[in-house]
This record gives sequence, structure tokens and C-alpha cells, in this order.
Amino acid sequence: MSGVGRRRFLAGSAALVGGATVVACAAPERESQIQSFVFQPELSLPGQELWFATSCAHSSCGNSVVVRTIDGRAKKVEGNPEFPVNQGKLNVRSQAGVQSLYHPDRLTVPQRRRGLRGAGDFEALEWPEGLDLLTERLADAGSVVVITGPISGTRARIARDFAAAFGGEHVVYEPLESTVWRKTVQDGLGAKRLPYLDIANAGSILSFGADFLATWLSPTQYGVGYGEFRQGHGRRGRLIQVEPRMSMTGANADSWVYVHPGQEGALALSIAQVIAAEGLVPPDSWFNAVSAVGGLEALNAYAPDRVSARTGVPVERIQEIAREFASHQPGIAIAGGTALASTNGLDNGMAAMLLNHMVGSVGQPGGLLPNPNLRSGVTPPVEPTSFADLAGRGNTWLEGERPDVAIVFEADPIYGMPEATRFADALGSIPYVVGIGAIMNETLGHADLVLPSTHPFEEWGDFVPDPAPRQHVVGFQQPVVTSSISGRSFGDILLTLWHDLRPNLAPPWETMRDAVRANAAQVFRGGEFEDRWVELLKNGGGWSNEFAPEFETTPNWHINLLAQPAFSDNGVEFPLHLIPFEGVALGGGDESANPWLQATPDPISTATWTTWVEMNTSTAAALSVSHGDVVRIETAHGDFEAAVYISPAAAPGVLGVPIGQGHAFGGRWREDRGANVLASLAPLTVAGAGAFAWAATRARVRPTGDYRRLPTIEVFPNARNDVEEPVVQVTHE
Amino acid sequence: MSSPANEAAARASTVSSMGQTIPTDAEVGPPSGVRWGMVVDLDRCTGCQACVVACQAENNIALNEEQRVLERRAKTWIRIERYWEGEFPNAKARFIPVLCQHCGNAPCETVCPVWATYHNRQGLNVQVYNRCIGTRFCANGCPYSVRYFNFWNPEWPEPLNNQLNPDVTVRTKGIIEKCTFCVQRINRVQVKAKTEGRAVGSNEVQPACAQSCPTSALVFADINDPESLPARLAEAEADRSYTLLKNFGTDPGIIYLKKVDPHAKIEDDAHAPVETHA
Repeated sequence: MSGVGRRRFLAGSAALVGGATVVACAAPERESQIQSFVFQPELSLPGQELWFATSCAHSSCGNSVVVRTIDGRAKKVEGNPEFPVNQGKLNVRSQAGVQSLYHPDRLTVPQRRRGLRGAGDFEALEWPEGLDLLTERLADAGSVVVITGPISGTRARIARDFAAAFGGEHVVYEPLESTVWRKTVQDGLGAKRLPYLDIANAGSILSFGADFLATWLSPTQYGVGYGEFRQGHGRRGRLIQVEPRMSMTGANADSWVYVHPGQEGALALSIAQVIAAEGLVPPDSWFNAVSAVGGLEALNAYAPDRVSARTGVPVERIQEIAREFASHQPGIAIAGGTALASTNGLDNGMAAMLLNHMVGSVGQPGGLLPNPNLRSGVTPPVEPTSFADLAGRGNTWLEGERPDVAIVFEADPIYGMPEATRFADALGSIPYVVGIGAIMNETLGHADLVLPSTHPFEEWGDFVPDPAPRQHVVGFQQPVVTSSISGRSFGDILLTLWHDLRPNLAPPWETMRDAVRANAAQVFRGGEFEDRWVELLKNGGGWSNEFAPEFETTPNWHINLLAQPAFSDNGVEFPLHLIPFEGVALGGGDESANPWLQATPDPISTATWTTWVEMNTSTAAALSVSHGDVVRIETAHGDFEAAVYISPAAAPGVLGVPIGQGHAFGGRWREDRGANVLASLAPLTVAGAGAFAWAATRARVRPTGDYRRLPTIEVFPNARNDVEEPVVQVTHE
Repeated sequence: MSSPANEAAARASTVSSMGQTIPTDAEVGPPSGVRWGMVVDLDRCTGCQACVVACQAENNIALNEEQRVLERRAKTWIRIERYWEGEFPNAKARFIPVLCQHCGNAPCETVCPVWATYHNRQGLNVQVYNRCIGTRFCANGCPYSVRYFNFWNPEWPEPLNNQLNPDVTVRTKGIIEKCTFCVQRINRVQVKAKTEGRAVGSNEVQPACAQSCPTSALVFADINDPESLPARLAEAEADRSYTLLKNFGTDPGIIYLKKVDPHAKIEDDAHAPVETHA
């Protein structure tokens, strides 16, 4: 068996390198060969820059990039100006792709666990030896589970079919999952794919917790639309943000509205009631939508005076929001973040969706537009496995019904799942865990075998942006530099194993490059394929202008008008709401090994490199703590320490804590820094969706007596805009 | 700790950039008619930091490790300043990207004893790294705090040094650095236009920050060209135009467009925001 593994590996490597020379836009030959200038590697002229289109280093962000290379080294990442999703623009995480490529702590060789699981004691192996170990395990395995982050296209197809061929399943892990919004869209719009938000042409956006300019779904796509929304045409759009903790999007809102956690849906229904009761839009627009949720009588239970105390929003404020939203049409209502991460998150989402139906923005320009169905042959983004499903699987594994081998790629569930789920124990109960990745993380640190993967700039692939930009789009990924390490891509590793062990069930292609080419030939037909292939690679993908005319099916309303959010505690022992949030740079923590991203200031606190807790002045005064004081934040399921940042925008009784730090693995810039707030959360779920209700945990705070100066960019805490000579000048419309 | 590779990179790039940064006869002299400048629309800016990281990637800015941030010695040629107005629940955050303003009357230029910083014919406030002797007079004189002193040699642990942009000098210990408006990109476009026998297009040059900005809040071009996008924006949005710390009389090359807030309480003709309280 071992000989076969080695042979396949070498064959795969040869195909990868050989393939790279065929295509005009591919990377130069291996640079490790000593050659005279007479035989200069192809496309590698000293000092001459070359640009390659490929996918963003974060496959789930949906952006395409062009990478500037000089002498076979990647130098700069720019947005792909041709690509319909990001239109030449990029966010911070995409920019940092070149730094993860050349990260000094990248995994370079396979490693085998030597000590206890999670102890971080590994020994280096040669690639064939590592592959042989895995081959032997898989040969005897009854079933296999493949756990990945959100992936799409050929890579997703291979992961899914590989797992099936080995009697297992493909599980997609997303830390702060999009499951609830997907289900809201499915039920509220009757759509299989996430809709296109026509932000550029919207008159108003009413966002319940969706930080769409920073982290929600496709922030670069939304950012491009936002610029036009503000100043792109004669009429300036209005942004209203409703949330318990001010996000970056909230900081840009014309109206930022605090709401008690989990009460976003009640507020949405109250806004709906005002719109209907005051006749802010014609009744024929909202009659059907309101009838579907029980009619105006049902909505009257949510009149502003009845929900003001429950939501924490004054009656007049609710009326103002309703009038502002209704008078700036077409309007878009969306929900995300904490609104969907409460136990009643699905109801909150559906209540927001009701507003879209009421103001008639569903299927209309400036509103929510349908995305076309995928063409035959394109594997859609795999729907994330819900938190409840994953935790349930973990319990099953612990009880003894477990797969023999787990293969984990681009996912870190041991970091992201709360300790109360015992997921680390569950994964640890699987006899053999294999981690594939470019850099160490908590889950890889618990693996028996770690295989170094290539960086996205070193491998072949394709991806399906989700949400799509109202067009059918497939992005393509190609190696832009030759790998400086002996890594192999996730897809190539699976294909090698598949052909070795299940040749009868294996697909016809032996490498990712062949698989991606074959898929491209199937999806993009017509003309000479080689010409098309080169065009697809040069453009970074293929797209068409096929617009879906309308949403296909009737919405299936089921708003539970009486649902109240549940929390981990009744509020006596743990009186404060703990609101974790994704930062614009570190996100869910997967990129926290990157020093550019660690040093990127949080837009609200301007803090870098650490974990802090945003606290209201009165909350801090009650605890007798100030800026930089270290406090212990305790929940019923764990505790951690953080330095206090007193924020003028923080609500009394609400603690905002960034996600992303608190790693034991991942190199010099990530390890032993800050705390992991996710570990201490209660394992509550969203009713009807099974998603992680990560905003439903209560906490208490104890001062530790320690002080740690916060690494912030602002020189004075709470820098104020000088009234006499304002730095940021403001005007009316 | 300085590795041989870092030192080599620093040496090599200093030598290779000399032709770009030392003023030549063609550069020093009466204005050429071109003035590179930028319009920053604060109503589009979301504070997302994309420009900040794009600048660091393009211009070989040293890693801002935690200790550097704590020491207030982090280097960000462009930074997003965030100001607060009001208190919860009426708190408002205001963002503004701040970079070298490439002033027409630059206070930093007159105080440099060695002509390391000067104004070139195209309106750029230029910093000549291998002339700088590190007096830091210029940084003291800059009202915008956009000049950064190198207290240490920069380090990029191998193989991170592979990402360094060979078009941009790596700055060594003891000298001042700051935004150049991506002069290497300006030079590239100008050389290309010259070889093709044509003029530089009015919107042809894109510094890294403007290129990445998702909302197109940053727009760069020759602001003396009435057809350029910044010039047209500044004219069309004259009511929203202002320059930073105007009272200093520095004649900045960056024009800001005011943030629009339909709910702001405007106190006087200057449209100064006032703090609102719950």
C-alpha cells in the first residue's frame, strides 16, 4: 500500500508542475532548479512584473484578486477589476493574503503527533511517509468524516464525494454561521440562493444587527454598493442600524438604535405596525404580507407603546424609524449578527423580512433581487452544518458511534465550539484525526497527523460567490507562484488517496487542475476549449448576464409572534449580556496569525493585538474599573480575562468582546494572546434553525486588580471631535 | 535583531531608489502645472481599514507589533482616526482617513536642515530617505502627525521578506518616512505614457489606498486638471469641501468632503457638529 501512495503523490506533483507550464497565465517552473539565464524560467524575467488573476486567499469571501508577481514572488494583491462581485476593490483580509503566503510559521512538512493530543508535540515526516500513514488508516476505516470550512465548486464536490466513497459525510463548519439568514431567505422569499441586495439603488437600509460593511456575508460587494448608496446618485440613501452593540456598520448609520438583545424581531414588528397603522405605504402593498402573519390585529400587539419596554426603544423612536424607513423607498430590511444569534433568531429574521414585503421591495430594483440558479455542473456552496447538528454528532461520537478517521481542512471547530459542547473530547474520541492546513490552529494541534497544504495562491480551484452579484458567476483559482514548501492542496491530497484506495469509485481526474479544467469544460461550453480556459484564467472566472426575473416560489411565513429570547441565566447571578463580535480584520479568528491583521485597529475602539471588553461608563463605574483595568468575565460555562475599554456607544449592561484571540497554536503572532470568548458561551441554539445562539449568554464581571495598557491607535481614550475646530466636519443633506 | 536578508533588502532598495527620490533639475523648479491630490469623501468612508493595509503592503511599512503600538511608534502612512460625539444612546462615531496632506505651504519642508524633504514640481511633498539625518524637526512641525520616525531597523522574518515591493525603498533606522502618494506608481505611469508618446490620463494613477477602497471614498488624480475626477468632485460638492486644520494655512493637497448626517445638530455656519446627549 505504501508504495502506491508514494507513486501517486509523485505523479500528482508532476502533473501539477507540468500543467503549470501549459497555460500562458500560470506560474513559472520550479525555482529550486539551478539554471543559467539562457534557460530563464518561463514568465520569469528579472524585474518584470506579472499579474495573475485568482481567488482571494479566503475562499468563502467570494472576491477575485489579481496578484502582482516579480521574479516568481507575490508582491501585492489587488481587487480584480473585471470580477462582478468586488469590482476591483478589496477588504483588509483579502489584502493580507500575500502575508499568509510568506508567513514564517507556515507548516512546511508533514508532522506526526508524538505526545498527548493537544500538547503540540510533533515530529517531522517526509511527504510519502505521511501519506502512507494516512493511506493505511483509510484502508482499514469503516467510515470517514471530512470537516471543512465553507467551500464551494470543485473542491466541495471532491470533499463531498470523497467522504461518500469512504462511507462517511462532509461536514461544513462555520463559526458564526449564516444558517439562520439562509433559512429566513428560504422561508421568507422562497429562494434557494441568497438574494442580491441592490444597495446602490436603495433609498434606505434597515439593518437588524447585520454588520454588512465589515463582516456580514460579502462586505466588499456591499461596500461597493454602499458608496453609490451614499453619494453615487442624486438622492442619498438612509441607513438605520438596530443592534445591542455598535458595530462598524452601526457607526456609519444615520440612525443607530440600541435594542435589547433578542428583541430585534419585536422592534421590526412594531415598525411594521406603525407603517400599517399610519398608512406610510399604501395598504395594497402591505395587506397580503400582514395577512400572512395574522393581520393588523396581530400586529397591533406590537404597537410601539406595547413593546417599548420590552425592546428598550422609546415609543417616539420606533415611530421615527418607521417613518424614516418608509419615506425613503425602495428600502431593504436585513437581519444578521446578534439578531439572528438569539434563541428566537429565526423569528427576528422573518420579522425583518416582513418589512421587505410590506414596502414592496422584494424583487424590485433597489430592494432584494433574486440570484440566478447555478448552471448544471456547478457545485453550489455547501450549506453549513448547523451548530445543533455538529454538537449532536459530537455527542454521538462520544457515545461510541464514531467514524474511524476524521479529515479536517480550513476549519477550527475546537477553537470555535464552546467548551460546554465537549467538542474537543468528541473529536479526540475519533481514533485517527488528520489536519490539513497552511498554519497550525487548535484543531490541527489536536490531530494525529498534520499535512501542510498549499496556500490559495499556490493551487488550482474554482469557487461560487455566495451571495452572487445577480449574475451567474464562477471564479477560478490558479497558482500564481510556485510553492516554496512541499505542500499539496486539499483537493490533490483527497484525489491521491481516492485513486489509491477506491479506484473503482474515483473520478476520472487525478489532480485538482484536471478536475477544475473538466468542470470548466462542462460549464462554459462553445468554441475551442483551450482558448476558453485561458480566457477564464485571465479573467479570474466566467460570468454571464443571465438575470433571474423573479423569486420562484411563494414565501412560507411562520413568524412566532410571541417568541421571547431565552438566555443562559435568569439575570440574577449573571446580570450582564455578553455580546461577542467579529472584527473587520480578525473575523472569527482564522486569520489571527497574520501580523497585518492583528495590527489593524478595530474601527470602534481602535484597539489591536489583544482582547478587550467594551463597557458603558455606568457599568464601569458600578464595577469601579476604568480604561485598561483587567477584569475577569464569568459565565455559567467558563471565564476569561480582558482589559476594559470604556465606549461612549456601549449600552449599560452589555459587554462587547471581540472574537479571534486566545489561541495556543498558530505561530509567533497568534499564540498566547488575549482570550477566546467563544469557549465560555452557553451552548444554546436558535429555535427552528439549530444555529448557534452565540448572543444568548449572560455574564458577570470581577475586577482582577491588574492593569494592562490597551494597544490602541487613538492617543487619548475616547477622542472627541473638537466642537470649535472639528476634524470631521458634518453637514446636513 | 536584524537578519542579513533584511539588511540586504534595505541596502539594495535604498540604492535602487536613489534615482526616484533625489530631486533632479527636472523636478526642482517652477511648478509643472500638475498637482497630485486627493478627494476624501467622508460620507462614503466606512472606516473599514482596507486603505491602511493596502498602503502597508504597497510601501513596505514595518510590522506594527504590539509593543510598537503601545509605545505610540506604530507606523501607518494612512490611518483611520475615529472621533466620538455624544454618549449612549446618541453616541456617534466619526471616521476620517488621515495621511500626508502634501501641503502647498508645508511646515515640514522649511525646517529640514538638509533638504531631505522638499516640494517637487508636481505638488508632492517628497522625502529623500538617504538625505535624512533624523532631526525629526519635520515631524514636530507637521500639524497632521503623519511623519513617522524609524526608531529601529524594520524586520521581516524570512520568508516574509519575499513580499517586499522592490519599487519602494525599505527605510532604515534613524530616518523619517511618510506617505508618498505611491510615487512609484506615479513614476511608472509617467514613464509608460512617455514611452507611448502621450500625456498621462487624468485619472490614470491609482495609489494603493484609493485602489482598494471598497466605497471609492478616496479619489486621486491631478487636481489642477479640471477634467479629473477629484477636481470635478470638489467643484460639484463645493458645499461639502473643506481642508483639514485650515487655520494653519498649509494649503493641503487633500480635499475632504464633509460627512452628511441628516440628524446632526448643526450649531453655526461652519456646520460644526455639537455633542448630543441622551
